[in-house]
Amino acid sequence: MGLIFKLAFRNIRRHRGQSLVIGAILFLGSLMMTMGNGVVSGMERGLRRTVAHGFTGDLVVLPKGQLSDNVFMEMMGRAVEPLYGYPALKAALDSNPLVTAHLPIGKGTVMVINEDDGPSVFLYLIGVDFARYAEVFPDNLRMLEGGLPRAGAAGLLLPTGARKDIQRQANLWFRTRQAGPDTAGMDDDARLHTADLSRKTDMVLMGFNDGNTATDVRLPVDGIFRYRALNSIFGSFALTDIESFRRCTGYFTDAERSQGRLSGKDSVLLALDEKGMDALLGGDAMPPEPIVLAEAAPVTATPVPAAPAAAPEAALESGAYNMVLLILRDGVVPDKAAKALNAYFAERNLAVRAVTWQKALGPIGSMAILIKAALTLFVTFLFVVAIIIIVNTLTMAALERTPELGMMRAIGARKGFIARMFLAETTVLSALFGGLGIGAGAAGILVIEAIRLTSDNDMLQLAFGGDTFRPVLVSGDFLLAVAQLALVTLFAVAYPVMLARKVSALDAVYRE
Amino acid sequence: MDIIAIKVLTKDYALGNTTVQALRGIDLAIAKGDLVSIMGPSGSGKTTLLNVIGCIDTATSGSVRISGREMTSLSDRQTTDMRLHTLGFIFQTFNLIPVLTTLENVEFPLQLQKRLARKEIRKRAEGFLHDVGLGQYLRHRPSELSGGQRQRVAIARALVTHPQIVLADEPTANLDSATGATILELMKEMNAREQTTFLFSTHDQNILRYARTVITIKDGLIASA
Repeated sequence: MGLIFKLAFRNIRRHRGQSLVIGAILFLGSLMMTMGNGVVSGMERGLRRTVAHGFTGDLVVLPKGQLSDNVFMEMMGRAVEPLYGYPALKAALDSNPLVTAHLPIGKGTVMVINEDDGPSVFLYLIGVDFARYAEVFPDNLRMLEGGLPRAGAAGLLLPTGARKDIQRQANLWFRTRQAGPDTAGMDDDARLHTADLSRKTDMVLMGFNDGNTATDVRLPVDGIFRYRALNSIFGSFALTDIESFRRCTGYFTDAERSQGRLSGKDSVLLALDEKGMDALLGGDAMPPEPIVLAEAAPVTATPVPAAPAAAPEAALESGAYNMVLLILRDGVVPDKAAKALNAYFAERNLAVRAVTWQKALGPIGSMAILIKAALTLFVTFLFVVAIIIIVNTLTMAALERTPELGMMRAIGARKGFIARMFLAETTVLSALFGGLGIGAGAAGILVIEAIRLTSDNDMLQLAFGGDTFRPVLVSGDFLLAVAQLALVTLFAVAYPVMLARKVSALDAVYRE
Repeated sequence: MDIIAIKVLTKDYALGNTTVQALRGIDLAIAKGDLVSIMGPSGSGKTTLLNVIGCIDTATSGSVRISGREMTSLSDRQTTDMRLHTLGFIFQTFNLIPVLTTLENVEFPLQLQKRLARKEIRKRAEGFLHDVGLGQYLRHRPSELSGGQRQRVAIARALVTHPQIVLADEPTANLDSATGATILELMKEMNAREQTTFLFSTHDQNILRYARTVITIKDGLIASA
């Protein structure tokens, strides 16, 4: 091998121009590949930090009856199966070492009723216990107006994205009662239409349920907020207290359960007065008049009995949810944890299953994989071009050196020796220039990471996987870069080696 | 004992649609330790004959035996090993490896053989370079040597493995007459000292005096021996 590498090094020096061309291609290819991998890994990690630790949790526990994994971004907002028996699940999760925190939520699609006879608008709604939400996802909401609802009180937090959608589609402008001037919080587009906009501080939501019935609730808008990052994606998900969510979507609320009462939709039916019942059956007054849950909300419709008292916190948990969001211990891989937890749930006869946040988010969760695939495709294209150039250059070199190779064959060098000599030359070039490229890529990643570029721009946040651009170099990516480089070297050298192996001793004589 | 025994050797080349008969039934026997000159005009078949004997080219028909071993039925690997261990070559244009020094060029076939230790290889290569008068040029690259010096390196490289036969195709063709004479003297000296069989082709009548046996070839046939 010593002789082969001696020949390789000296031939590289002798054919400097050709070596530099090949080296430059390998350097640039490796640099781009390493940085690309670092950016995608950073995005993947950023998405996990932003999405999993700000919206979905690392894992999402769903009722077994929920067939689709995609529970957040399902087309048309299909209803997620209800999850009952949370206390038992809670006990299991509390004692599992993989889980550090968990948050039960309700998630559904509701309609924002336009009380001005204009068009109504769909809205994604998440029901939570706000105190627990703040514990599990601290510092996740940037309040622009107002604040969280009072403990135990009904209320709604509206994200800017949803507010904008409602304004565009229904000419309604929702704001908190504490908001400043009429135009406070409006963007340029909204300000242009201030004359047409109807200002509201309460929102009437109509929920849907499997029984094909609808329930309306009126909620005060307690706060307007942005999600800390990726508000462009999650800004359509409004937050409400879990009891209002249950009532709106027709689930059995805990207050009802604890008082032996009926589910939300049934209680609405019972609450209707004669006029309301006539209207309901006659069908000309649908939807039924809203139930007022918040004491301070102005009553603009038929009064209903007072809102049920908030249930004690412990009892609150026995009502229906749709899913439980889990935060895993640091360093635990979600995929593996999901498998382990599913086995754990099965042992305890809990009719639930855990899916990763990527699966729960559907196409958004796969975005990092898609971008990585696109980038890999781009890098593969670059490498194909690189391989063609390198093959061409090495082929020319093999043809130019035919007399020399033929002479070597004439004095006793086997075909394998010639092949190894060519392979060694390309390997040395790959190791040297490709290695430099990988090193430069790694250095570039470290520099970019140190700079910590931040952005409030939604699109950039999507590309960053959060509000900060932080590419990372993980060992897997590093090994991938080395493997890709080795593959390129092998592909690039295969044809020239085949040509060189075909050189016979006779070629040394005939080329004289 | 004949080290080379050739019987009814033919070699045809396809040239477009026609077939050229370079060798048309050669019968030849060469004794071990002989110094043989193959004479003949250009195109007579000298180089083809040397190439077939040296396992560089294949015969169309006939038999070539070296040290009793039939050459025409060997595989590529076997002929390569034959060239490495049994044969030595000196080319017309001093074919050396340009990136290796004089010493490394001579060491090259020994390193391919992998029979000797590193030190032994160096010692033997240095010895042969001293023998051909290049002891002062061990670290020089081929491009730093004159034509005559390069051909001496080629002779040293051909002999360093102690081959049974050295084949030289017009070894003095690209040298001036004085240098050519020196090279032939050197080959003669090595032939005497190493008892290596030398076959060299030439069309120069002036160098016949160096040969012990002269074979004349004409139109692919032995004209006289």
